[in-house]
Amino acid sequence: MADIAVNEKIDITRDICPITFVKTKLRLEQMQPGEVLEVTMTAGEPLLNVPRSVKDEGHKILKVERVDDNLYHLYIMRGEG
Amino acid sequence: MIWFAISGNSRKAPGGQLIGFKGEKAILEIGIDYNALKKGGFLKQKQKGYFIMRLRTLSGNLSSEQLRHAATIAEKYGRGEVHVTTRQGLEIPWVRFEDFEALNQDLAAGGLRPGTCGPRIRAVVACPGTSVCGQGLEDARYAGELLDQKFFGREVPIKTKLAVSGCPNSCSKPQENDIGFMGAVEPLHESDLCSGCGICVEVCPTGSITMGEDNLPIVDLSSCLGEGNCITSCPSDAWVVGRHGFHLFAGGKIGKFPRLGEKFLEFVPQESISSVTEAVLDVFSHLRKGHERLGATLSRIGAAAFRKALVEELEGEQTMEKSAVG
Repeated sequence: MADIAVNEKIDITRDICPITFVKTKLRLEQMQPGEVLEVTMTAGEPLLNVPRSVKDEGHKILKVERVDDNLYHLYIMRGEG
Repeated sequence: MIWFAISGNSRKAPGGQLIGFKGEKAILEIGIDYNALKKGGFLKQKQKGYFIMRLRTLSGNLSSEQLRHAATIAEKYGRGEVHVTTRQGLEIPWVRFEDFEALNQDLAAGGLRPGTCGPRIRAVVACPGTSVCGQGLEDARYAGELLDQKFFGREVPIKTKLAVSGCPNSCSKPQENDIGFMGAVEPLHESDLCSGCGICVEVCPTGSITMGEDNLPIVDLSSCLGEGNCITSCPSDAWVVGRHGFHLFAGGKIGKFPRLGEKFLEFVPQESISSVTEAVLDVFSHLRKGHERLGATLSRIGAAAFRKALVEELEGEQTMEKSAVG
């Protein structure tokens, strides 16, 4: 996959559910449709809940990248809604 | 004047009337609705002269109107309090025996129905499933209503409890019931859509998904829980729903000797849960001994023997259906 142009970044590794999703959702809502948010998160609960909730909100997940044993980057394109 | 017992342990007198249990007697005017009484839902209260009115809900749901009516009933016939039961019912305590008839008529007028107790099919416990829950995989609420319609209050040799959950989170505890249904999905992988991100490997609760050498996931369905995490989390929608429906659990109970139900069938379609329930009840009625509940029968004969009998019963039904059509 070609490199993704990232517009904004957010780190939710120190947050717990449901703040993980809420922070991601609020940041996406401040962005323009088509812009890309890079979310840094840990495995486990955030990885289980954030991607599915983001999909439900109508945003598009471009890529999930494992950057370390317990660390992931989620690339989300802001949807139209 | 007639004697009768409120509990399900009453026995019939030679004249056909119900007579008291353990010396506990209540006197009622003639004209009480015996059919209503026999269906249960009226529990003798510890304090003499009172009973507890158990109300029926559908998958744990009541309309606001029904709830308002329950509140009115509790104020009118009880002491203005309503107990929420562990099986999603309501109970109104402190109702006087002499109000039995009036209460029954009043309940019906407000769209409420008595619950059940004793050796019967009890209230069907169900979570909302897909009707409102974000985790739901199947419409457990509707499935619970189907089972309620067909089985609620049916007289069986021993109390028999049914529950339905919309997913393997099992909030309505299908494994703790004599017969339980659990919503589940089977994941299928469409490799041409897969980006190889590996999120499915991380979110799989049983470790059933591993990454292959070609950077495509491989699933071991024998240990798959059917909760669908891979499907809901996949960024590229490469995991899709294959078979889906309800897993059948049988033989669960809590009580003094708790025992979890065992899984006997997978992905039973919603339209078949009633016939499957009927088959389990049939097999149980043939195999049970003494006062056994389903779990005790299972412990005695073993899951394999029960499974064999159940499969034969279901195959027999199919043959009958086929021959009926042919």
